[in-house]
Amino acid sequence: MSNRTLSRRDFLKLASAAILALSGLLGLEGLFRFLTTQTEPLPPTEFDLGPASNYPPGSRTLLADIPALLLHTQSGFSAISLVCTHLGCTVESKPEGFACPCHGSRFDLQGNVTRGPAEKSLHSLRTGITSDGKLHVYTN
Amino acid sequence: MRPNFLHHLHPPTIPARQARLRYTLAAGGLAVFLSLILLVTGLLEMFYYIPTPDQAAASIQTLTFLVPYGGLVRNLHYWSAQFLVIVTLVHFLRVVFTGAYAAPRRFNYLLGMGLLVLAVLLDFTGYVLRWDEGIRWALVTGTNLVKSIPLIGNALYMMLVGGTQPGPATLIRFYGWHIFGLALAAGILVAWHIFRVRRDGGIAVPPPPLREDQRRITRFELVRREVLAMLLAATALLLLSAFAPAPLAATITASAPVSETARAPWFFLWVQQMLKLGNPFFWGVVVPLAVLVLISLIPYIFPKPAKPELGRWFPKSNRLAQAVALFILLAIITLTLLALLPAS
Amino acid sequence: MRRYLFLAASFSLLLGLLITAWQESRHPKPIALTPTLTGKVEYCLSCHGDLPEISKSHPVQTFGCVLCHGGEPLALDANLAHSTMRGGKNPSDFSVVQASCAGSNCHSGTAEDFRNHIQRATTSIQATYAGAIANIRYTFGVQPDLKARLGIFSVQVSQSTSGITALAAFDPTQETNPYVKAFGQNCLTCHLSAQPLPGSEYFRFTGCSACHTPTQSPDRTNTEQVQSSQIHKLTTSISYTQCDTCHNRGNYDLRTITFKPRQDHPADRLHDYYQPIAQFTSCEWKLDCVDCHTRTEAMGDGNLYSVKKDIQYIQCKTCHGTLTDLPQTRTLTDPNDLAFRLATLNPVIDLKLGDTILVTEKDEPLWNIRVLPDGTYELFGKADNQRYVFRPVKGSACTQDPARQDSGSCHECHSVER
Repeated sequence: MSNRTLSRRDFLKLASAAILALSGLLGLEGLFRFLTTQTEPLPPTEFDLGPASNYPPGSRTLLADIPALLLHTQSGFSAISLVCTHLGCTVESKPEGFACPCHGSRFDLQGNVTRGPAEKSLHSLRTGITSDGKLHVYTN
Repeated sequence: MRPNFLHHLHPPTIPARQARLRYTLAAGGLAVFLSLILLVTGLLEMFYYIPTPDQAAASIQTLTFLVPYGGLVRNLHYWSAQFLVIVTLVHFLRVVFTGAYAAPRRFNYLLGMGLLVLAVLLDFTGYVLRWDEGIRWALVTGTNLVKSIPLIGNALYMMLVGGTQPGPATLIRFYGWHIFGLALAAGILVAWHIFRVRRDGGIAVPPPPLREDQRRITRFELVRREVLAMLLAATALLLLSAFAPAPLAATITASAPVSETARAPWFFLWVQQMLKLGNPFFWGVVVPLAVLVLISLIPYIFPKPAKPELGRWFPKSNRLAQAVALFILLAIITLTLLALLPAS
Repeated sequence: MRRYLFLAASFSLLLGLLITAWQESRHPKPIALTPTLTGKVEYCLSCHGDLPEISKSHPVQTFGCVLCHGGEPLALDANLAHSTMRGGKNPSDFSVVQASCAGSNCHSGTAEDFRNHIQRATTSIQATYAGAIANIRYTFGVQPDLKARLGIFSVQVSQSTSGITALAAFDPTQETNPYVKAFGQNCLTCHLSAQPLPGSEYFRFTGCSACHTPTQSPDRTNTEQVQSSQIHKLTTSISYTQCDTCHNRGNYDLRTITFKPRQDHPADRLHDYYQPIAQFTSCEWKLDCVDCHTRTEAMGDGNLYSVKKDIQYIQCKTCHGTLTDLPQTRTLTDPNDLAFRLATLNPVIDLKLGDTILVTEKDEPLWNIRVLPDGTYELFGKADNQRYVFRPVKGSACTQDPARQDSGSCHECHSVER
C-alpha cells in the first residue's frame, strides 16, 4: 500500500467521519433555531396615555411602563426615554437631570451625557395626539 | 474492616503531610460537601418554587415565611452557594500557591477552572430566580453585556433571554440552566475532576526519593477526618442559616421606584466597578474573559514548580505564577471594595 | 483523642440543630386571612392581629389589609412586608390615594351622585390651597386678579362652573417676589398634603385621613386619649378638635409673612373652639363644625375654585330659616336616600322612612336634623350625640331687617360673650 493512495478502510473511515460531522452541523443548526425562537409577544412600541388634558402644561409625568418622562412645556409635549444608553438600567429623574444608579452615568435635563460611562444621550421618544385627543408615545 | 463504596472512592493511603488541614485547608472536600447540601436543599426548594414572573418572588416568600423550616432550607441553600464560590476560589489559590497544577495535572487544573466558572454561573442563575427588585438591574445589565458582543451578541442574547427583553421566557430558561443544564455539567466535571485526581497520582507530592516525610494515612483515617470536617461544617452552616437570612425583596414591578444603589451580586461587584470606566463590551466581557484565560493558562505559560518542592506552600520555583495569581486576587478584591463605597 | 473530637463534633451538631429549632419557634406564627373582596391570602394579622377594626364600613374580613395599604401579603419579615406599602402609615395621602381608595365600587364612583370623593377632595380648596396662593400673589402684584392659577399640585378638571379647568403647581423657587417666596417657605403648613407643624395641637395625618382619622380627643382636657401616630380609625363622626388642627390656630402676619400661633391657653370648649378675636353664636361653639358644614363644603363639588366663599354656603338661615321662610325640608320616601346611608355610617339619629329632615339650599341632606310634629326641629350632634331642639326664625321675636338675613347680621345680636 503506497502512502499516496487512500486504502478502502481509511476511505470508509473518512467518509463516515465526514457524514457524522455533517449530521452534527445539521443538528447544531436545528439546535440554534430551537434556542433562538421567541415565544413571548414583542413588547409594545406604542403607548396610549389617555386624554392629553390629563397632563397640564408645566407637568412632568413619570411613565414607569415604558419607561419615560413626559414633559408638557410651552413648545408642546416631549418624552425622554429613561433607559440608560450604557447598559439599560432605568435612570432616576433628579432636579439637575438624570442619574443612573448602576454605573454612575449622568445626563442633563435634555438627556445629554454630562458624565460617563454612557456615551450616547438619552433617546427622545416621538409623541402624538390622536384625533380623539389621546396622547400616544412611541418607542420606535 | 472491609472498605465500603465511600472508602473505595479514596486511595488506599495518602501522604500524611499533605493530608493535613493546614495544607489543603479542606477546600476541595468542603466544595464537594457544599455541593451535596445544595443538591438536597435545592430539591426541597423545587417543591415550592414557581418559575413565572408573577409567582416567583411570592413563592419564595411562601417558602420562607409560611413553610416550617422553609426559611432554613432557603438560607442553607443560599449560604452553601456563596461559600461554594469562596471555597472553590480558596482551593484554586491553594493549588496555585502549592504549585500543584504542573503536568500531569494540567488538564485537571482546566477541569477545576471549568468548575469555578460553573459555580459562579450557578450562583448567578440562582440569584436571578428570585425575580425581585434586588436582581432586576443585574439581569438587565448582564444580558445587555451579552448583547454587546460583536457579531454573535444578538444571537447569544436571544438564546439566553428567549425574547427581546427579560421576561417569562428568560426566567424559565434560567431555571432550566440552574436546576439542570449547569448542574448536570457541574456533576460531570466534579466526577471527572475527582477521577483525574486519582489518575494523576493523588495529591501532589515530591517523588518518594525526594520526600522528607514518608508517613502515610489510610483511607479509613481519611474518611474519618472528612466526616469530622463535615460535622463541623454542617454545624457552622446550620447556625449561620438559622440567624442570617438570605436576601429577598418585593417582586419586580414596572412602577417600583429606582433605588439609589443598584448593586451587582457580590461576586460580580468587581465587574460592576470596571463597567463604570466606559465601554461595556471591553470592561464587561473582554477584561473578565482575559483574566479567566490568563489564570487558566498558568500551568502552560509559567515556569513549573520543581518536583522536590511539591507538596508545600509557596515553593520558590513557581514564584512568578504565585505573584500573578496574588496580583489578580488583590485587584479583584480592591475593585470589589471600591464598588461597595457609597456612590458620589 | 480522635474519639472525643468526634463526640464533641456530633454533640455540637446536635446543639446546632436544637438552636435552629428554637430559632424557628421564635418566628411569628402565620395567621392567614383571605378577604372576600380579593380572594388572595394575606398574613398581616400574624403581627398586627391586635389592631382594632378601622371602621364598621371597612371590615377586615371583607377588605383585608393589602387592598388599601399595599405591602407584601406573604411576608412575615417586617422590612420586606412593609417595603411596598403605599404612603407609609397613611395610604390616603393624596400621592397614593388613587391606588388605595379609588375604584367605582369604592370612593371614586360616579360624579352624578357625588360619590367621586377622591376627585372632589383632591380638587377642593383645602387640597389645592388655591385661594391663599392666589390672594398672596395678587396682594403683592404678581398676578393681576384674584382668579386662581396655581395650586399645591397641578390639577385639572374636564369642566368647571367656575371657569377654571386647570391649576399649575405652585413652585416657590420659581417666584421672584420675596414676599411670595417667603409665603412659600413659611405658610404652606395647612393644606391636605402638608405635614403638620410640630406640637400636639397640630397633629393630624394628610390626605383623606387629615379629617377622617381622629388624632385629637373631642375633649381636649382629657390628655389620656391617644394622640399618637398609631391610630387605626376612619370615621365620619369628626369633632371640632380635628378641624382645629388647622383652623383657629393663629394668624398670618402679612408684613413679616409668618404664622403667629394663638397665645391663649383655653381650659374649656367655649374658649378653645375659636381664637379670642372671633365672633360666634352659641350653636357655633356647642355644636361641632360638621353639624353645619356639609360634605360639599369640606370636600368640594369637583370644581376648581379661587376662593373659599365660592364653596362655603351654609348660613344661619339654612337651618333656622328667615322671617318669611321656613328652612327647606325633604321627606324621606326612598330607602336608598343618601340620608339613610349617612345615618348608618354615624348612627346618632334613628331615621326612618317617612321622617322629614332639613336640606340645604343645594339639596344636601342635613340628615341629623329632623322635623318634629310641633314644627320645631331636633338636632343630634354628629360628634357627641347631644340632642338639641330649636325653633325656626319665622314666627319668633326676631326684629332683623327682612332684606338682611345673612349670618353676619345674626351675629350682631346672637354672638356670645366669652
